[in-house]
Parts: sequence; structure tokens; C-alpha cells
Amino acid sequence: MLRRVLSLASGRIAAGILTFIVLLAVLGPLLAPHDPLEGGVDVLAAPSGSHWLGTDYLGRDVLSRLLDGSRVSVLGSVQVALVALVAGVIPGILSVYLGTVFEWFTLRLADTLIALPFLVFAVAVTALLGNGIPQAMLTVGILISPLFYRVSRAATLSVARSPYVEAAIISGASIGWVVRRHVWVKVLPPIAVALANTAGVGFVVVSSLTFLGIGVQPPAPTWGGVLAADLGYLSFRPWAPLVPTALIMATVWACNLLADAIRDVSGEAGRALLNSRAVRRRHVHS
Amino acid sequence: MRRTKWVAAAAALTLALTGCAAGATGADGTGPTLRWAVTLPAHWDPVVSGSGAQFRILSLAYASLTEINEKGEAVPSLASSWDYNAKGDQVTFHLRPNLKFSDGEPLNAAAVKAYLERAKTQKDSALFGDLTSIKSVNAGSDTDVVIDLTQVDYQIPLLLGERVAQITSPKAAQDPKKLDQSPVGAGPFVVTENVPGSHVHLKKNPDYWDAANIHIDRVELLAAPEEATIVSGVQTGVYDLANLTPSQVKAAQAAGLDVVQQPGFNASNVSINVNKKPFDDPRVVDAVRFAINRQEFVDKVTFGYGESTDQPFPAGYLAYDPQSANRYPYDVAKAKQLLAEAGYQPGAIKVDLVIPAQSTAAEIVQAQLGAIGVTATIKVDPNWATPFFAKDLALSLYGTTGRESPVQTLTAHFGPNGPLNLSTPYQPAGFQAAVAKARQTPLNSPDYQANLRAATRAGLESRALVFTYSQPNLFVKSKKVSALTPIPGQIHWTGLTVGS
Repeated sequence: MLRRVLSLASGRIAAGILTFIVLLAVLGPLLAPHDPLEGGVDVLAAPSGSHWLGTDYLGRDVLSRLLDGSRVSVLGSVQVALVALVAGVIPGILSVYLGTVFEWFTLRLADTLIALPFLVFAVAVTALLGNGIPQAMLTVGILISPLFYRVSRAATLSVARSPYVEAAIISGASIGWVVRRHVWVKVLPPIAVALANTAGVGFVVVSSLTFLGIGVQPPAPTWGGVLAADLGYLSFRPWAPLVPTALIMATVWACNLLADAIRDVSGEAGRALLNSRAVRRRHVHS
Repeated sequence: MRRTKWVAAAAALTLALTGCAAGATGADGTGPTLRWAVTLPAHWDPVVSGSGAQFRILSLAYASLTEINEKGEAVPSLASSWDYNAKGDQVTFHLRPNLKFSDGEPLNAAAVKAYLERAKTQKDSALFGDLTSIKSVNAGSDTDVVIDLTQVDYQIPLLLGERVAQITSPKAAQDPKKLDQSPVGAGPFVVTENVPGSHVHLKKNPDYWDAANIHIDRVELLAAPEEATIVSGVQTGVYDLANLTPSQVKAAQAAGLDVVQQPGFNASNVSINVNKKPFDDPRVVDAVRFAINRQEFVDKVTFGYGESTDQPFPAGYLAYDPQSANRYPYDVAKAKQLLAEAGYQPGAIKVDLVIPAQSTAAEIVQAQLGAIGVTATIKVDPNWATPFFAKDLALSLYGTTGRESPVQTLTAHFGPNGPLNLSTPYQPAGFQAAVAKARQTPLNSPDYQANLRAATRAGLESRALVFTYSQPNLFVKSKKVSALTPIPGQIHWTGLTVGS
């Protein structure tokens, strides 16, 4: 699937941006030219040779803080996506096979969770369990999990009622074998789309929470935190919010672009699309 | 809170774009109207609100027994005069005749007695700690309030000013919960509409004792928006007056608005609980004292508009003690040495710095303590007031707007039950005697200042507080609002005009 996604221009752009962001998360603290926590006497300074993006209200290097803060955003969004994946896909598939009681219970639970506003709920959870990104992201992941539950359940249902699966079960195949052999292939593409979308949502949630000062204790840097601080000093550095905003926007856009690319190359429609492009290319070259 | 501010900012922008800001005329077409962007009070009952900064807003609706002038001296308000007995343990306030509250009830000696007794006894009173000198209150006549004191105390006229004695209607006070949202006083204005979190509208009170000098017909209090949008709000006429943070001064000046720096008694501090580890070791407290670089607060929090102070008042104030100045200069090496002597290796001390909201000052304290090897974790607790005033925290920050009575300021910080003494019941040796002497000194005595300074000196022996800087009282106003009278820490409405 990766090869097919990369065959699209949108897929290549998304992959390029996300690779860059992941590299920032891994190498950012090493690349930071200054200690992101160390203040100086030169506060709210304009960009210069020693501080490429200037300094903040405590004289800390903004570039170093953005580089160091990228890890929080990436890990937070990955956590949201993985929690939602695990909490949604497993019950989604099992709801088709484990009987009506389990099915009824998980459907009602999904209906309940999907009704809760996850950002507000995450704020409430951090107030109860302590001000930390992991608990906030765990909460958001669980609240997003109904998306995965519904996607995986729908895909499983479409396969479970098909004649070849029924034939396999009649022939003695176990449910586990059916899931591995037939269901998983059908479920994977829509889950990959949902996963990319959820990662984007995760970035927005992490940025929103840290913008509000929730999830990370000062002086730890975050993209949302840098943005919030910049907004308080617009008269000194009116352009400053553009940098963290651009980072957040580009990342979320790349996640959505990736989701679109995965959707475009998935299933019959995706294969048809790629075939038509191949045909067009042959026409152009001939 | 931040979300509310953004909503308020959006509302302000909408008002500006739709042209609803109609100059000095109120929304209902009345005369001069003042629109003040401000953090709306959670409580409108002065007994519950206490003597913090919100008294400035409550002074719109309530008049007090006394006021202060530009020198900080007590001057008449509801009481036209007062006199002490020869011993100094009884003071009689003489009220102006024919005063009345906005609900029509008479404001007489009985009403003042009812207020002071309520402030001393009401369960949720935030003022009872300020009234320990008052033994009993009696109505000598309809206009004479006779106050018997538990001790000789010449501070009472200063004490019973806007912060402590904004007199409430006794009839309205029969339902304290209702009074807390629907104020009934005898101030220059009467609340006509109160929408919590949004706005409060007030109209001029024709029965105010000095109504002839109130030149504004209406006041509209509007929930303060995000600080970055204050200046544009005043510039576009959505607000006429707003509190200003130091970071916005440059923008306000660039916009051609008036930036006003009112005098005040503000002083911020690092509050320490010496009853909790590791601050039960005096060497650790001394290390913190030497670790504090006050100039950094002045530069980064006040943008140079404030000043450093190591006392509970700004330098130059009557009670500021020059002898005690700079006793603990910034000295990181000495701080580290003290910690080593106390047996703490760098990083061994880990403590929570609990604050009500994120602040630059907290990050500075965290960094300065980090420089001597103390790890302070900032914990933002929206319900911070409860553990702070219950003295449950080990380390916190506080910023006072001061008190008109310097003795009240000293006892609030250093007294065994002082609300700002995080180390209750600890008090420094000799403080009680020194503060009693200052309290017993008539305000016009030549010894008054010396005795006050001696009390300050004794209080500063306290290990519970490290004072840092004095925050300026900054306001931004449009040109159509006349100059604010430079009353320390207060805003007086008499004489203020709003042009068109």
C-alpha cells in the first residue's frame, strides 16, 4: 500500500512533511542551537544570527523551544491514534462474532462515547487525574475510538456475510482464521485512512490543550504553548505566531492529505484509479 | 479563563465592527457613559469579597466610612469626621446626616453597626481577620458610631476605608446570598443589570453623599478580553478604560491612547511554609532568599514599569524600612553553600510551586531556584485559594495590592493568623510588640514613621516571605476620559468625566 500511496503526488507530499516532522521529534532536541529552558536578558528579541526566530518573554530561544516541543506533539498524536485504534478495532471486529449481548453493549458504549466533546472531556480528565499529556491523550483516544469501532465493524460485516466466508466457516475454519485470512484484508484500508485522520486530530488536540496551558508543566516547550505565549506579546513580535501556526497547520494538513491518498489507492476504486492513471501515462508516452 | 477571554474578545470585535460602540452615550441613550473592561467580581458583597483588589470595582456601588487622599491619609466619606478618646481605645465616627442606601433604607449608625458586626461574624466573611481591634460597635446617636477597641489602635480610620468598610444595606444583608449578586449600597452608582461573566450595568445614584461631583450617568463593566486585544478595544471605542498589563504599554502608546500609572502599595512575594519540609530548616529559607534576583522580575514581568522590593510595600512608602533594604542580595554561590551546609545536594530538594494561573513570575522563580539546585515543579491549581488560605501549601506566590493601613499590611503578612502568612501560626520574634507599638502611635505623632519602620523591620525577620517586586497599577484610557486622581491603589469616581 505504501508504494501505491507514494505513487500519488499528494501521498509523496504528505509523506515528505510527516517524515520531516517525525525527524524533528526525534532529532529536534539535538538540533536545538540553545537550551530551550535557559532564559537570557534579551527578551522578545527579533530574529538574529544567534536566535534565528528571536527570543520569548523570558529570553529563551524560540527556535530551540519549537524544535524541543515537536516531540510532545508527535508523541501525543501517535498516542491518540494508537489508543483509538486498539480500543476501537478489536471490539469492532469482535462485535460481529461474539453474540448479541456483546454487540448491543459495544454499540451503546460507542454511541455514548461519540456524544462526548473530547476536548472538554480531556480538560476535565486532566483536572481530575493531574495535568499531563498522557492521560489527556488516553482520554481523547478512547473518545475517538468509536470511529474505528464503526469502520472496522462495517468492514467486518461486509465480509462476514459473504458466501466464501460462510463456506469457510461451514468447512470448519475458526473465527480467528477467518479474521486473519479474510476480514483483516478488508478492514485494513479504511482503518489506515481513519488512522491518518486521527493522527491529524491528535495534533490539533495536543496543540489546543497546550495552548490552554493544559497537559504540560512549564517551562517545558510545546508548539501550542509557544503560540499562546506569542499572542500575549503581539506588539513586540507581531509575526511570531505564524511559525508555530504554520508547523501545526502543515502537520495536520499532511495527515489529512495522507488519509486522502490512502483512500484513493485503497480497494477496487483505488486500483481503478491507479489503472486509469497508468493508462493515461501510456497514452501520453505513446 | 483563557477561553472566556477569547469569547469576550470576539464579542468586543463584533461590537466594534457593527458600530455598536456609540461614543460616550450609553446603550439606552443616557448621558456620559464609562465603559470599563475589567475582570468582573465574583462577589458583590464586600464582606465576602474581602480586602483584595476587587474593592475598586465594588466602590462603584458602595460608599465607605472613610477614604484616602493622594498622600494616603484618611479623609471623610460617609463619616464627615471622627475622634478618639484620650486613651485611644475608643473611636467615634460622625456620619453625614440623611444618608440612605439605594433601596431607600437609612444609612445611619445602626446600619454601620450591623455591617461591622456582620463582617466580624458572618461565616464566609473575608474581613473578620482585619477587624480584630474592634471589640464592640454601638450607635451613640443616629449619626454617631461608637467603636470600642480591644487595644489602643490609631489605624482605625485608615482601616475602615474602601477595602474593609463599604457599608451594605442591613435590609439587603438579611439575604447575604442575594446581596452577593445584587449589591445594595450607598455608592456613587446603582447596579441595574448584572450578567455574570458578561457585563454589569450601573446608573448614577442621585442619593450618593457626593453626587454633585459625579459627572458620569452610567458605567458599563464589560468582561475583560484577552490582554492582547485590550488596546484595540479601547482604540475602537468598545471600552473607555481598561486595566493594562505591562506588555501592552508599548502598543497602547503607539495607538495614541493614555497610559495611566496609578500609585499603589503593590508588592509580590514568594510565600514559604516553614512548617513544611524542607523549609523547616532556616538555612534552606536563607538559600531561597539569596537565590532571588529581583531585577529579573522588574525586567521581564513589569517591563521596567515596576520596581524591585524586599518589603511588603514599594520603596519610598511610609512604612518602608531603609535599614532592612537589601539584607539578602542576589548571591547564587551563597545560596548553594547554605543548601550544602543544610545537607542538600543539588537536585535533592524537589518542591511544588502551586499557583492559581500560569505566570511569568512563576517561571522566573522556578528558574532561579533551579540555578541553586532546587527543583520547583509548577502546579497550576484553579482552586489555589483554598489550600493557600488554609496554609496547606509549601511554596506559592502572592501579589498584594496592599492596604491603606500599613499596620494592616504588616499583620496580614507577618501576624500569626495573617491571611498572607503561609506559615501560620509562625511569627517572627518581637513582631507582636513592635506592631502593637506602631498601632498605638497616633498618625500625627512625630514617632509614627519610626515606629512603623521598626514594626516592618521586626516583620521582615519572618522566614515565611521573600518579597520580590512591585507591580505597577496600569490603566489605558481613551482621551475622552479625564485624568484619574492619583489615589494610591484606588480609583475615585468623583470629578471623573467622559467626553464625547
